[in-house]
Formats: sequence, C-alpha cells, structure tokens
Amino acid sequence: MKPAPFEYAAPPTLDEALAILSENDPDEVKILAGGQSLMPLLNMRLARPELLLDLTRIDELGGVRALDSAVSIGALATKRDVEDSSLVRDRNPLFMESTVMIGHPQIRNRGTVGGSMVQADPAAEYPAVAVALGAELVARGPGGERVIEADDFFITYLTTSLEPGEILTEVRVPDLPAGTGWSIQEVARRHGDFAIVGAVAMLRLESGVCVDPRIVIFGASDRARRHPEAEALLAGERPSAALFESAGQAVAQSLEDPTDDVHASADYRRDLARVLCARTLSEAMERAEGSGA
Amino acid sequence: MAVDIPKSFEALPTSSPRHIGRGRRRVEDPALLTGRTQFVDDVELPRMLHCAILRSPFAHAKITEVDTREAESLPGVVAIVTGDDALRWSHPAQSSPEGWGTHCLATDAVRYVGEPVAAVAAVNRYVAEDAIELITVEYDPLDAVTDPVAAMAPDSTLVHAGQGTNVMMDRVFTWGEVDQAFEAADHVVSEKFRWNRMGANPTETFGCICEWDPLDLSLTIRGSIQSPSMFGLGRAATFALPSNKVNIISQPHGGSFGGKGGTRGTDVTCLLSRKADGRPVKWIEDRIEYLTAGGSQAWDRHYQASISVRQDGTVTGLRVGLIDDLGATGEAYGAICAAKPLAAFTGPYTIPVAEYDLKLVATNKVPSGPYRGMGPPPHFFVLEQLMDLAARRLGMDPAEFRRKNFIPNEAFPYTIPSGNEYDSGNYEEVLNQALALADYPALRSAQAEARQEGRLVGIGVASAIEPGVFDWNAYAIVGMPGTGVPEGATVSIDIMGFITVRVGFSLEGQGQYTLISQLVSDYFGTDPEMVRVVYLDTQSAPPSFGPGGSRLGVAITGAVLGACDRIRTKACRVVAALMQTEPENIVLHDGLFGIPGVPEAQMSVSDVAGTMLARSDLLPPDVDPRPEATHVWTAPGRTPADEEGRAKSYLTAAQAVHVVQVEIDRETGFVEIQRYCLADDCGTRLNPATVEGQTDGSVAQGIGAALLEEYSFDEDGQPQTTTFMDYLMPTVYEIPKVEKVAVVTPSPFTPLGAKGCGEGAIHTTPAAVLCAINDALAPIGQMAREVPAAPKRLWELIRAAGDTPEDGLI
Ligand SMILES: Cc1cc2nc3c(=O)[nH]c(=O)nc-3n(C[C@H](O)[C@H](O)[C@H](O)COP(=O)(O)OP(=O)(O)OC[C@H]3O[C@@H](n4cnc5c(N)ncnc54)[C@H](O)[C@@H]3O)c2cc1C
Repeated sequence: MKPAPFEYAAPPTLDEALAILSENDPDEVKILAGGQSLMPLLNMRLARPELLLDLTRIDELGGVRALDSAVSIGALATKRDVEDSSLVRDRNPLFMESTVMIGHPQIRNRGTVGGSMVQADPAAEYPAVAVALGAELVARGPGGERVIEADDFFITYLTTSLEPGEILTEVRVPDLPAGTGWSIQEVARRHGDFAIVGAVAMLRLESGVCVDPRIVIFGASDRARRHPEAEALLAGERPSAALFESAGQAVAQSLEDPTDDVHASADYRRDLARVLCARTLSEAMERAEGSGA
Repeated sequence: MAVDIPKSFEALPTSSPRHIGRGRRRVEDPALLTGRTQFVDDVELPRMLHCAILRSPFAHAKITEVDTREAESLPGVVAIVTGDDALRWSHPAQSSPEGWGTHCLATDAVRYVGEPVAAVAAVNRYVAEDAIELITVEYDPLDAVTDPVAAMAPDSTLVHAGQGTNVMMDRVFTWGEVDQAFEAADHVVSEKFRWNRMGANPTETFGCICEWDPLDLSLTIRGSIQSPSMFGLGRAATFALPSNKVNIISQPHGGSFGGKGGTRGTDVTCLLSRKADGRPVKWIEDRIEYLTAGGSQAWDRHYQASISVRQDGTVTGLRVGLIDDLGATGEAYGAICAAKPLAAFTGPYTIPVAEYDLKLVATNKVPSGPYRGMGPPPHFFVLEQLMDLAARRLGMDPAEFRRKNFIPNEAFPYTIPSGNEYDSGNYEEVLNQALALADYPALRSAQAEARQEGRLVGIGVASAIEPGVFDWNAYAIVGMPGTGVPEGATVSIDIMGFITVRVGFSLEGQGQYTLISQLVSDYFGTDPEMVRVVYLDTQSAPPSFGPGGSRLGVAITGAVLGACDRIRTKACRVVAALMQTEPENIVLHDGLFGIPGVPEAQMSVSDVAGTMLARSDLLPPDVDPRPEATHVWTAPGRTPADEEGRAKSYLTAAQAVHVVQVEIDRETGFVEIQRYCLADDCGTRLNPATVEGQTDGSVAQGIGAALLEEYSFDEDGQPQTTTFMDYLMPTVYEIPKVEKVAVVTPSPFTPLGAKGCGEGAIHTTPAAVLCAINDALAPIGQMAREVPAAPKRLWELIRAAGDTPEDGLI
C-alpha cells in the first residue's frame, strides 16, 4: 500500500499549473485535490502517474462567491467550506443538504467540490444535484476556458468530458428557484457510505399541480441521470401518493443497466430507485407546500 | 505451604476494598491518549529492513516458475525469499486438524487468493513494493472450489492433491439417547442456516520485526503478538529451533479479537532476516493484506439443526449438523472454533441429550481463523432461532419458553451433555431483569399496534452462555493437546514500599494492568499509583498464556493474589521473628502486619519490606529475604476429554439475556435497531467500567455480525471485500444505545468469584438481533436463515412473501 514512484509539483497559481500540464504528457499527469479518492488509488498502485500535480496551494481556486442567480464554488473549495457557507445555505438548501450527506466530517474537511465532480463516482451526491440543478462546470485548458453543462459533463463510471490537460476551476450552482420543493434521500449500508441508490427530486406547485418536476437517480447505474419519462408523468398533474408511485415505477422501468455488486443486485437497485423516487417526491411536495408558493 | 487465594472481596486482607470492584480510571490510558504507547510500527531498530509480500492472484494454481532476478537488481533490495527458501529452512505450519498445514511461502501450488508466493526485504517499504512488482511468477490456473458442500463430493477438485479428499474431519459426537428423544418428541423443529464468513478487524493489523541471529541460531521476534509463549513454541517448531532460542517480545497492540494470528507473515519475515544475514526485518500487514488474507476470517458455516420438544414446552434434544469451511489449510485454527461449542453446546438450557455432526472442509479460501467468542456465537444464533420456532409453533411467548427450559439455580454446578460443567448462575433473575429493563409487555403492545399498521416490527429475546477461562481440553476433538493454560505474575515490594508486578502479556486494550494495580493496592493497603506493572518477554516472564478465551481477568487475579499471599506468608514469618512470636499470630490487615488488637505491635508493608531487603541478617535463616513472590495460576479441576470429546474445560459460564426491538423497512429491507436492552451475569465484577466497555464493544461486533460484516468471494475464489468500502464494520452511527443491567452470581471456583467476560455479548447479540428480525418477518411468513441479514437478503424475503406496500394490514 505504497504508491509507485512519481514526481511532485505544487504550483501556487493556475497559470503555472496549466503550464506544467502543457509541458508534460497530460495522460501521465494526475491532478491532486483533496486526495480522498486519489490517495487510495495511488497507494493501491491503481493510479501510477509520472507527475502528481497538487492544486491545493492555488488560492484562486478556492472560495464560494455569489453570482446573480447562482453560487460560484471554486473547484478546490472543500465540502467543509460549503458546509460553513451561509450563502449556500440561503440560496441552495438542496446543495447544502447533499454536502452533509457526503462521507464523514474528516472526509469533508479535505475532500473538494471539484474533486467529487471530476471523480464522477456514480454514487456521489454532488454530480446528482449538479444534474438536477443544471449546474455549470467551468474548465481551463490549453484552449482557454470552457463551460460545460452538468448533464454533458458526466459521461459514465468515473468518466467526465474533461479533457486531459484541462483543470476544473469552478462549479456554478444555480439558485433553487423560489417555491421549489426538494428532497435528496439515499440508502447506504452505513451512515456516510456511498449510496447503493439515491434520488433527488425537485418540483414546484402552481395552482395545485406539479411544475418543472425533476427526478435524478444516482448510485443505481453508471452515472446520475434525470428521468424524463417519470418527470413527464408528473408535469401538470395534481400530486398524490399514487402519482408518485407511478413516477417511481416509470423510473424503475427506464433505469438502464443497473449496477450489480456485493451490496445489491440489479433488481434490488431497480426497486430501490422506485421507492426512493416516490419518497423524495413526497418530501419535495411537502416542502413545496410549506414554502407557501 | 498452601496458597490462599481469596474467593470474595470479603476475604481480602482489608476492612473494605477501596479499589477492586470499582470502575477505576485505567492506568493504560494516559500513554495511549498521548500517543506514547509503543506499537510495533513505532519501533525502529538499527539496520532494519522492510518486507513486502507478493501474493497469489489466483485461488488455485500450480506455480511453474518464479523469477526474482530483475527484483534482485533493484537498488535497495537486500533479500528475496520464495518457496524454495521456505522448503530449505522451515517446516509446514502446525495445523488443526493435524497434517493440513503448508509452508509459509507457496512451494508447488497456491491455494487461495493472497497466499504468499515470494517476499522482499528492502531499505524501505516503498522499494520493497516496487521490487515485488518485478518478480514474475508463472501460474498454471486450476479449478477452484469455494463451496464446502461441493468440496465434499468425491469428484471435487482437491485443494491438496496429496490428501485425497477435501474433508479434514467428519465425525458425529453423540451425547445421550438422542434418537430416542427425537422419536418421543411431540414436535421436531428443523432448519437450515448459513453463517457467512466474517471476523475481527482490530484497529491495528498484525505487524512484526524478526531478527535471526546467524551465530547463536536464535530468533527474536517483536510484534503485536497476542499469545507470546504459544507463538514462540510455534515458531520453534517451524524453524526446528530449541524453544529457548526463540524470544518473543509482545508490543502493546491495538486490539486483536483473534485477528493477531500473524504466524505466516512472521515466518516469511523470519526467512527474510535469515537471508539478509540477520538484519532485522519489519513487516506491517496493511489493511488490504489483512482483509484479503489476514488471520481472522472466521465461521464460514452451513448448519442443519433441530430440536425436539414436548407439548408442554420442554426441549428434550438438540441436533446440530455443521459443515465448516476452513479454507485452504488448518493453520489458523479455524477448527478450534468448531470445537468450542462443546463448552456450552446446549446453551443455558436443560436440554439433556445432544448430537454434533461436524464436518471440517477445505476450500480455496483464506484459512479461517479465530474471532471473539471462538465459534459459539453462530452456534447460539442457530439454537436461538430454533427456540423461537418451537415457541411459535407451541404458541408460547419466547421469553417464557426460555424460562421453562433454563437450568434452575439449584442445579449448579451443572454438567451439560457435551461434558463441560457450568459453575453457577441465576438465569431466571437475568431474564427478569432484562424484561423489566425493556418493559417487555409495553414493547409487545407497541408491536401489536405497529403490526396493525402493517409495519414489520419485531422483538427478540435471546439468551446465551459465555464460556470463560479458556481451556485446551475443549479442543481435544480437533487434535489440540489438552494441557493446562497457566498465568503467572511476580510481585515485588521495594525498599520504599513501592510495588512492581511483572507479567508476560502486553497491552491489548482490556485494562488488565489497571486490574492488577487495583488488586495489589487493596491487598497491601496502598494506592494504585504505587503499583507498577511491567511486561517481560518470553525468555524472562513467568509462565503466561496472555489474553484470550475470556480468561486473563480471572487468571491474572489468581496469579497476583497468589503471589501476594506468598509474600504475606513470608512477611508474617519475618514480622513474627522481629516481634518474637509465632507466624500464626501475625495478621495482615489494611496494610499493616502485626498482632491483632495490639496497636504497638504493627509494622507497615514498607517497613517489613525495608527490613527484609536491608537487614537480611535479622531474618529467620530459611526465609528468602526478598519481599517478592511468583505465583502461577491454572484453572483447577479441568479434565481431559473422553472419546466423545466430553471434558470439564472452561471454568466459568457467564450468562446473558438480550432484548432487542427492530423495525424492518418493508420497501428497502433495511433494519433499524430501535431498542437494545441486556442483562448479564459474569459473576463478581472486578472493574465494572471495564466489563461495561467489553460489553459495549462486543454488542457492536455482534451487530456487525448480524447485519453488516461478510467476506464474500466469487465462484473463482476471488475475494470481493478487500477494503472497508465493501467489508462493512459497524460505526458509531450503526450502534444503538445499549441499556444494561447487571446480575452478580459469583463463581464458587474462581479468585474473587469473577467469571470470564471478555468475549461477552457477541455470544448473544447476533442471535437476539436475528430473533427480532424473524419476529418481525413472522407475520408475512418469512424467516431470515442467513447471517448477516443484509438488506438485499431481507428485501428478497419480503418480496418472496408477495408483500407490496399497498397490502396494508397483514
Ligand atoms: C471514507 C470515505 C467516504 C466517502 N463517502 C463519500 C460519499 O458518501 N459521497 C461522496 O460523494 N463521496 C464520498 N467520498 C469521496 C470524497 O467525497 C472525495 O473527496 C471525492 O470523491 C474526491 O474529492 P477530492 O478533493 O478528495 O479529490 P482527489 O481525490 O484529490 O481527486 C479525485 C479525482 O479528481 C481529479 N481532480 C480533482 N480536482 C480536480 C480539478 N480541479 N481539475 C481536474 N481534475 C481534478 C483527480 O485527478 C482525481 O482523478 C468518500 C471518501 C472516503 C475516503
């Protein structure tokens, strides 16, 4: 459990980091953020970079800032930074809730927001809320800056559309629209574990019917995805337990190639997706009703 | 001269004990909390090298070639060993049953994933790990057998071709007229159960530093070694050394629970030191090594069991058929876990006859090892599910059904069909206390309401025995020699009256050094701060076995009090001579030696010690002038096993009743423990805080066993659970608050009446949690037969019941 030999660089600025990337074969460079996923991979020699490029000294990549109708979170901001941010708490309680569901305090003290996005674990909470909220991921590379829609960013297991040589710099999380009821729930074998299956639901109620319903399932397959068939069932309908159950069934049906592992079979995951879809929808509805909108 | 070891607090030479029997702060803790305790990985020796082990990626394969040349040329590599070195310099591991051990490095074939094939000693662990990547091994993969039932088939692939079979042992033990009992029964309840492989995961994995002395031809081994003297004898056998040429230095270690086997890694490291001309070599097992091929994967069991019951609720017989998958070899003593249930086969019940159909089978998995409780926890899981099934069939409340079958107080000491004798108990009182603590009637009425709402709420009431004070006789059936298990202590008082106690075991977490200071300070009327406990290595220590088998608290109490009594006897002779009277007239009380009722004829302990040490000329000529004595305590009255394995083995029998309430989420299969209450009786509590700590930890491990922990393998024998992402230990979030109440029935046979309590709750917890789960599932006609009751399994059961959320009421 010791890493294979590697070179190490920890530049103080983003430009220098980009320069180092362009001077080296980007496939042989590994970027280090909080290390909560990468360090075990290095120690198990599953990742064997020639150069480890540590971004943690780059101050400009940290911090949480207000935009007009979004919050900009630096890629190197830790989950702890988010947890402590009243801006995120006020503007986006869903993003806040998903933050405290990640691992344990020790993990959140070090693990970064950008790291979770780039790691793209199918069971991670951040990619799921990013997809649900329609977050934008900002990357810098040899060709300059690129803004990527969350849904286009996550490709499949541990794979994103970030190019080798690019650094994720920022995540723009749109504010939760007024009156939106939301919910994020997951089943995990233990507190703090990656989810076996999780769900995010968002909806508004206008004139007693569901508006802009969004359902994202994570942990169940290769990546967090929205489920348009189920969303279509809800849009314009009066919320009810039966409606949410049929949305859950639609989700279960449309779930492609559920994961099968020691903790849960594919069938079990499919059924959990149904259950969590219905449960998150009813919690989201309660919140939407509570918001008085 | 007879040594008098007090059997109760009242018999101590003090008006009232100030320390023993109370929850004292532990003397071990300041160094632990400030990081000053020296664990093996903290030890640095001059010229020390670091070991990394190359392990088999196959569960079963022939080795056709091992090429180490490239690795040898890597700078920093000092020595490399392979199976050839093991053949040249060592013997196969001792095993149980005998003859199923292999060399520490694979010689001709590998038999499980993770089996050591070669090892490197290098200047640091990084280089050592770089080097093992440069070793090329050619394998010729063979079919792996991972299912013990399939492994028993005559045409099965053989784990050891030379054995001609995979069956290591196949015997039926019959204790009494079992067939008659089952024929005469009104009801026979019969079920299959599966207990999946799980085991200990101490905070610290195993580690060692081995030093081969090429001139003296001796070995010095430092390590996180639980049973140093036994470990030393094992290494002497492996390396054909005289036993006095192996010195074991046991470092304090971060828990064990059975997980500190470490023999294979130690033997590999010893070979490396020998090849490196005697340079010390350190091997620290990492967590992946531990989870893949470590020393404590335990209890991989398939059960078929039944009880016979009369209509009035009397259980008349027990049959247990066990197919125990021991993995690839017998080296890690998984077999003794299959034998230990003999020490408490029929649990707390008066079941008069029993049968054990025991099959030990080899498969291509890691050799199975010991784990806290050593084998009875799965046995009690099985017995308690049968008890509940029978109670349900008879329409009896499970608590009352157990009460009816409990061994009554007046029957102690009580001999069970499998031969062991229980010392004492008050089982009904323990049950009453547990039920009262839980407010059992209220739990049942809340459950009735929940069931009305269609919720799967269950209550488990389970009871089990914890055999205490480990004894080899229990293991005779798997070929262990039935000798005693001694524990010694040397107590010495210095010229200032400070007291040093020397023992042969190091810190493992259970607080025995604190216990020693409590005992000695009450005996001699000093403060615990005046007592220092010192660890000695195997070449210096008094006879010692160390912690294990819920024995050390009782055994060290006997040793320390015996040594104190020997000093008292000696000191009485000295004081009598000084006071010109007879030794019989001198009494030790509250720290003073003297003539009772004569205030001027009293000497303090330190005065007596000072006089002995400074003025030996004043002493009677045949008195040894040192205020020091060694006593070696061994459990009295143990008997060797007869043909059917029956022996008086474990000296004490603690008993507990756990009452658990769970709710199963009927959509997800997740179990929530809503209430956890227990009553237990482990005799006199020497340090109640320590007992509580042991209980809490053991409940946690029991919950892990019941719900979470499982080593899984695929069909090819590839382990699926090699990190803590997949091998799930319970965390503080998974463990409910445990409400506890104590019942104290002293043992008539032990020092101060204490019973073994170190393994504790894990005997009862998995049984109780599964009883609760099965009580919850009963209304939908389902039963969990497999441990752990993981959500995926419960979800399947609920689904099989055709149970959908819309069903509403059950
Ligand atoms: C015990 C434990 C429990 C956990 N539980 C959860 C959980 O419940 N939910 C969850 O979501 N996560 C969980 N995690 C993972 C944790 O959230 C990690 O922090 C996260 O996955 C990675 O973030 P990091 O900052 O540590 O990134 P690192 O480990 O440093 O990097 C991860 C990957 O991202 C790349 N990378 C990082 N930053 C950038 C960047 N700015 N630009 C380009 N590439 C980059 C790295 O090269 C690497 O490939 C857990 C981890 C542990 C150890």
